[in-house]
Amino acid sequence: MRPKRPVSLVIGAALVGLVVAAALVSLVWTPHDYEAIDVAQRFLPPSAEHWLGTDQFGRDVVSQLMAGARSSVAIAFVAVLLGGVVGSLMGLVAASAGGLVEDAVMRLTDFSLAFPALLFAIMLGALFGPSFANAVVAIAFISVPVFARVVRGAALQVRSQDYVLAARAGARTPAHILWDHVVPNVLPAITVLATIEFAIAILVEAALSYLGLGVQPPTPSWGRMLAQAQTLLYLAPQLAIYPGLCIMIAVLGFNMLGDGLRDAADPRLTEGR
Amino acid sequence: MLAIEDLTVAYGGNAAVRRASLTIAAGERIGIVGESGSGKSTLALALMGMVADAARVEGSIRIGGIEMAGAHEKAWRVVRGRKVAMIFQEPLSALNPLRRVGETVAEPLRILNGMDRNAAQARTLALFKEVGLPDPEAKARQYPHQLSGGQRQRVLIALALSRDPAILIADEPTSALDAQVGLRIVELLNDLARRRGMSVVFISHDLASVARATDRLCVMYGGDVIETGPTAAVLAAPHHPYTAGLVAARPRIDARRERRARMATIEGVVPALADLTEGCRFAGRCRSEMPHCAGERPRVSISAQGRTVCCHLTDAAVTASEARVFA
Amino acid sequence: MTRFFLRRSAGFVATLFGVSFVVFWVMNVVPGDPALVILGIDSTPEAQEALRRLLGLDQPFALRYLAWLAGMLVGDFGTSYAFRVPVADLIVERLPLTLSLAMTGMTVTIVLALGLGVLAAANHNRPVDWSVMLVSQVGIAVPAFWLSILLVIIFAVHLRWLPPGGFPGWSDPLGAARALVLPTIALAAVQSAVLARVVRASLLEVARLDFVRTARASGLARSRILWLHMLPNALVPIVTIVGMQFANVLTGTIVIENVFSLPGLGRLVFQAISNRDLPLVQALVVLFATIVVVMNFLVDIAYGVIDPKLRPAA
Repeated sequence: MRPKRPVSLVIGAALVGLVVAAALVSLVWTPHDYEAIDVAQRFLPPSAEHWLGTDQFGRDVVSQLMAGARSSVAIAFVAVLLGGVVGSLMGLVAASAGGLVEDAVMRLTDFSLAFPALLFAIMLGALFGPSFANAVVAIAFISVPVFARVVRGAALQVRSQDYVLAARAGARTPAHILWDHVVPNVLPAITVLATIEFAIAILVEAALSYLGLGVQPPTPSWGRMLAQAQTLLYLAPQLAIYPGLCIMIAVLGFNMLGDGLRDAADPRLTEGR
Repeated sequence: MLAIEDLTVAYGGNAAVRRASLTIAAGERIGIVGESGSGKSTLALALMGMVADAARVEGSIRIGGIEMAGAHEKAWRVVRGRKVAMIFQEPLSALNPLRRVGETVAEPLRILNGMDRNAAQARTLALFKEVGLPDPEAKARQYPHQLSGGQRQRVLIALALSRDPAILIADEPTSALDAQVGLRIVELLNDLARRRGMSVVFISHDLASVARATDRLCVMYGGDVIETGPTAAVLAAPHHPYTAGLVAARPRIDARRERRARMATIEGVVPALADLTEGCRFAGRCRSEMPHCAGERPRVSISAQGRTVCCHLTDAAVTASEARVFA
Repeated sequence: MTRFFLRRSAGFVATLFGVSFVVFWVMNVVPGDPALVILGIDSTPEAQEALRRLLGLDQPFALRYLAWLAGMLVGDFGTSYAFRVPVADLIVERLPLTLSLAMTGMTVTIVLALGLGVLAAANHNRPVDWSVMLVSQVGIAVPAFWLSILLVIIFAVHLRWLPPGGFPGWSDPLGAARALVLPTIALAAVQSAVLARVVRASLLEVARLDFVRTARASGLARSRILWLHMLPNALVPIVTIVGMQFANVLTGTIVIENVFSLPGLGRLVFQAISNRDLPLVQALVVLFATIVVVMNFLVDIAYGVIDPKLRPAA
């Protein structure tokens, strides 16, 4: 196993880098205008002009994929940030307050973990109408209990360690101890978890937009590209390959990066999963 | 019955056991002593063909006249349990926690000896009786966590005996137990060896139980067999400086308290596997060290009483005057 | 044990209660007037008001919630706005398809994962192990709906072995079975990739334990030790994940049934949400959550079956 670990870190970082770079570059440049419809140029095969050909409206596939990366990464980023901040705060509060507050927070996470996540996301997406914001909220909601539990666990572990006990004996305020000792020590756990949750977020975002509950046209998204390609399977099966491949690369990248980070941060974290 | 010659077990480039030689006669009880890292457990596992897949095994292991060094898993499975059986240090973790102990003992009888369920169960109960488990029927239906440490070790002994092995290897069978319980396990092993005419290889770092449990002693250090001989003789007059140190460091109840304000110890620690040198591995901790000790491996000297020792001191002494040291 | 059982049961009921409340609350504060949805935007305000009264939407929230709960207890889940038939009928009609899909999906997942996980653990740190790990790492990253599409391209479009979607009904058993093959594979592939890694990891944990050495020392074959000694001892984490995966497979049917146009609960839930069919959505979400909670409950019970230490004293 030894030699495998750095490999997954490197491959993960490379794949993530690729996806994030595509998303960032698409902000300023894509090979073609991804919205430009040209019916004369429908279903073109890959060429120097259109690297992966064109779709049923003659739009450039590569440009759409790059813009799709933007949607995926943006939604996943905001959702994980939101879920991570809320969940981590809940975990920290639970760990430092203890007692009734801790019980309440943990019951709450128990409850949301028992609730089928995708179902909830679909419900929210449908109820509040499909939009960027609702996809973000739905995905963030799923990750909150996970962050809360992991951070609480890590914080409790740190709190029981000698140097924190020493700091408490030295009559530092709880806020000081939290900031000086607990926060830096739970950060690795949060980072690793955030990476893994990022992968999940991309998968859920793809599923939501596949079902028509994610970002809306004309903003391209991998999930919706797949949904459209599915109606053209007999005509242009290749259009159904590329977006899925992109989702896979992104998810694989974040998963491997998370595995690698976890091992680099603390081999003990690997035991638990 | 069992003859090891020039046996080397190496992980990567590091020999955990270095060119060890040892014979065990039928019915003989032999003790292997040494600190952790001395290679005694590796030697025991080599006798079962159970060293890690990555380990390199060289030399000869003859069990009942058949060469087993380098044998395949299939050949070893014929030997395990039937010719050589083994019990381990930690009797709780050595038993499958999800199985009733009766099932654990009956399984090899059914699967490997072809007994039917009833025959295997009857045999299991007989074995439980033989190892002195009270109320065998009730015990057979219990799970490991419901038994005491001594009872678990007896179950493991019953399992080891189930296919009538010629040799029983006991790897630190008493060190996880209370002193009194351990003592009774030693007595049981002595009893079984006598009644069954079975050889026992008793591995321990505890000289007191070794003195009770064995006829002959083999002292290991850093993967080398450094001294062998009749247990009583070796303990009474050790030849190797390391053995002498071990004997001196043994806690004694009879020694007067004032006289041993400090218990004798051997300075330093056992070298790590990767730090082992070509020469005598006790060099560096030895009080009688000579300049060539670290670079050159001593020869094995053999005395008339069947004692062997592997040390430059005896080597030199024997060369100078054959008669003096091994009179 | 009895206390353990009672505590778990209490938690079980509390969770169901919470789920039902959250669902009811969310569904009843959302924008979107059911009366408007049913009657269309051209309808008169008077007609809408009359319908609201008819549906009981003019009653206070707490009253409606209690009435709904009480109804569910006697099997009355209300009437679907969109289908205009009792919700219970819709569920009974579509439950068999979704349950068979989830069951076969879970069975395939377990069989595949055990096979691959044991294979990898038995060949730890050898090419077989690496291949299994690589395939499962990729498998985890594949979205189920994309895999479905790929399967359709290969087996329906190119090879024409299996239908690309649709369901002929249970009266045509062979056709029904054929229609379920690809959805089952799509559901099981990702889950078995996850589970295979768990199987492998927990077997490797167990491999370090002393009783494995004892079993080998008594002359038993490696394969027997692996399946009959190590695997039972590795089951606790495996069962935990299987319980969680049943929830994933169940919600996975929402997506998969849409991909393959299968008339099951998953598709129904999606239609109900799009139609703002309140009674249907409420009932379905509660039903899904109930099945998931029941699975978690069963997993807790399974721990006791696996480990004698957790059983009541004889």
